[in-house]
Amino acid sequence: MRKTLGLGAALVLAVALLASTAQAGKSKQNVTNLTFATYVWQPTTVKAMNAIVDSWNKSHAGIQVHIVPVDVNSVHDKLLTSFVGGAAADIVHDEAADIAGFTQQGYLANLSPLIPKALKAEIPQSVWNVTNFGHKIAGVPIMLQTYNVFANMTILKAAGIKAPTVARPWTWTQFRSAAKKLSTNGNYGVCWGLKSPTATIQTLSLNWGGQWNYLEKGKWVLKVGQGERTTLTTIHDMIYSDKSVDPAGVGLSGSAVLPAFFAGKCAMTIQGNYQAQGMIEQSPKGFNWAMFPPLKGQSQNQAANPQTLSISAQSQHKAEAMQFIAYALNSQNMAKLSAGDWLIPAAPSAAKLVVSSTKHYGSWKNAVAAVPFFKKANWVTLGPYARWKAEVATPAFRQYLANQIDLGKLTSQLVDGWNSIRG
Amino acid sequence: MIVSSRPKRARTFQYTALLLYMLFLAFPLLWLLSVSFKGPRELVELHPHLIPREVTLSNYTDALHGDIGIGDVTLLHAAWNSTKVAILTSLLTTFVGLPAAYVLARTRGLLSRLGLGWILLSQMFPLILIIIPIFLLLRTLHLTDSHTGLIFVYVVWTLPFILWMLQSYVRGIPRDLEEAAMVDGASRITVLRTVIAPLLAPGIVVTALFAFITAWNEFFLALVLLQTPSLTTLPLLLARFVGVEGIVRLGPLAASALLATLPSLLLFTIIQRWLTRGLLSGAVKG
Repeated sequence: MRKTLGLGAALVLAVALLASTAQAGKSKQNVTNLTFATYVWQPTTVKAMNAIVDSWNKSHAGIQVHIVPVDVNSVHDKLLTSFVGGAAADIVHDEAADIAGFTQQGYLANLSPLIPKALKAEIPQSVWNVTNFGHKIAGVPIMLQTYNVFANMTILKAAGIKAPTVARPWTWTQFRSAAKKLSTNGNYGVCWGLKSPTATIQTLSLNWGGQWNYLEKGKWVLKVGQGERTTLTTIHDMIYSDKSVDPAGVGLSGSAVLPAFFAGKCAMTIQGNYQAQGMIEQSPKGFNWAMFPPLKGQSQNQAANPQTLSISAQSQHKAEAMQFIAYALNSQNMAKLSAGDWLIPAAPSAAKLVVSSTKHYGSWKNAVAAVPFFKKANWVTLGPYARWKAEVATPAFRQYLANQIDLGKLTSQLVDGWNSIRG
Repeated sequence: MIVSSRPKRARTFQYTALLLYMLFLAFPLLWLLSVSFKGPRELVELHPHLIPREVTLSNYTDALHGDIGIGDVTLLHAAWNSTKVAILTSLLTTFVGLPAAYVLARTRGLLSRLGLGWILLSQMFPLILIIIPIFLLLRTLHLTDSHTGLIFVYVVWTLPFILWMLQSYVRGIPRDLEEAAMVDGASRITVLRTVIAPLLAPGIVVTALFAFITAWNEFFLALVLLQTPSLTTLPLLLARFVGVEGIVRLGPLAASALLATLPSLLLFTIIQRWLTRGLLSGAVKG
C-alpha cells in the first residue's frame, strides 16, 4: 500500500512539475505585455499578421505584443469564456455582428476617446457606423467582404455573353438571364453553395432595401417585406423554376461547389470575395476566371460587417493597446492583411495599395469598387441576432431552399423565432 | 476417403467476407493517405482518384514545417504536448479509479448505490453547460492556461466512465477466488496483489487506453482553457487547417491527421496482447 501511495504522490508531483515548466515567463520590468487574440487563418494572412507583430515588437521595446491564436470556427465561444472568466486578451479580433452582444454585456472598452484622429479619418464614416453602439465605438474595422459572381470566362465568351464592368454592373435580371442561357447540355448556369445561407441572403437583400430588422415603437421587429421577399423568391425561382442553379450544390458549402465550377459543370458561382484566394491556389492551370462587381437590384448595396479589432474592458493597458491597433491598421499593414485574405480593406488608402500591387488587377478593382455600397445593416448591431441566426434563420432558410416549406411558413418561422429570442 | 469441398469453400467465403470488411473499415484511412499525397488542384477535381496522379510531399512539409499561425508551434511540438497530457491523464485516472471501483463493486449498501447513481448522473451534464464554471474554478486555482489544469479537468471528466467500466470488470471476477485465497491464509492486500490485480490487468489496460484516447482527441476543453501557443495540443493544431464557411486546407490537414493517428496505432499494436489475453487466464492454473 505504501508503494502505491508513493507512486501516486510521485505521479501528482510529475504532473505539477511538467505543467509548471510549460508556463512561459511572462514579464520583464518596465515592459508592458499585451495579449492579442486573433483568428487569422489563411497562411498568407497569418504570415502578414506575424510580420506586423514582429516589426512592432522590434520597434517598440517597451510594449511587447503576444499573439493568442483563436480557432476561426470557435471565436465566439472562446471569447465569451475568456470574458466571463476575466482572462480576456487585451486586444480582440472579431467581427462587427459578434461584438454587438459583447458590447452590450460590457466586455469591450469604449474606443471613442482612444482612436487617433489619423486612423479615424482613414476609414469612411459609413463603416465606423457599424461598430458604433450608441456613441460607443467598440471596434476598429479592418476589412470587409462582399458576395460576388465568379465566372468561367471561357464558357461565357463561347456563349457570347459579355462580362459586366464597374461602370455597367449586371442587374439581377441580367444575371438570371445569363444563368438561364448557360444552363445547357446537363450543365448549369450557376453553382451556389448555400449551406450557411443566412449571411448571403440577408446581405443580398440590401440590393432591394430589405433590412430584415426595423425599429418600431422602440422595439426591433423582424419583417419579411418586399425587399426581403424579392431576394428569397429570386434565388428560389432560379433553383426550381429557371432550373439554372444546380440543386445538388445548394446544400453544400461555398467551397464544396468549386470542383464543379472548375470542371465546367457550371459557368458561374456566387461566393464571398475571399474565395478568390482559393481560385488562385486551386483552379486548374489555364482556367480563365473573373470576379464580377456586386449585382444590382435597386442598388448594389451590401451589408458592412467588417472584421474588427477591439480592446477588452478588463485590459489594464488600453492606451498601449490602441497604439498597437493604430500601427497594425496603418494603410500599408491593412493592405498586407487584406491582400492575404482577399478581403476589402476598410480604409480606401489601403485599398489603393492593394489594387496597385496585385497581379489580379481586374478582380481586385471590382472588389474595391464595392466600398461605396457598404451600408449599415440593422441586424449587425443587434444583440439577439447571433442566436436568432444560429437557432432560427439558418435552419429555416435551409428548409425553404430545399423546397420543404413555402414562403409563408418561412416568414412565420423567422418572425416567431425573432420574437421569442428578443423577448 | 472422400473429403468434402464444403468446408474449403466455406473458409474461402469467410476470408473473402473478412477481406471486404477489412477494406470497408480501412477505406477512410486509405482515402486520408491518398489525399495527403495530392496537390491542391487534384484535391478539387470533380471525379477524384484513389491513387494520386502527381504524388507530392508538400502537404507533409506544410504539416511539419508550415506556419500554422500558432507562433513557433509545430506538429511535433503539439504531438509532444498531447502525449504528455494523455499519458498523465491515463495514469492518474486509473490510479484514482481502481481502488474506488473495487470498493464500489465489492460493497453492497446505500453508499455504493448512491455512488453508482451519482456516476450515472454526472454523465448527463453536457460539457457546454459546465465549461464556464470549470473555467472560473480553475482561474481561482490559477490553473487556467496550463497543462496541469487541463489534466485535472480530463481526469474529472473521464473518471465516472472509467469507474463504471472498472467496477464492471471487478464484478466479473468471482468472489470465490478471493475467498479461496483467504482460506489459504492470504491477507486482503495479498489477495488484491496476487489474485485480483493479474485478473484485472486487461480491464485496467482497456480503461487506461480509453482515458488516453479521450485526452488525446479532446478539443473543446483545450480550446477554452489553453491560451499560450506553446501549450497547444494536437486537436487544436489540426483545427487550424479548417477555415471559414467550409474552406479547408485539405492536403496539410490529411497529412497532419495521418501523422497524428500514428501514436494511437502504435499504442494499440503494443497493447494488443494485453487486450486479447483471457480475463480469467489465471483462474485455471494448477
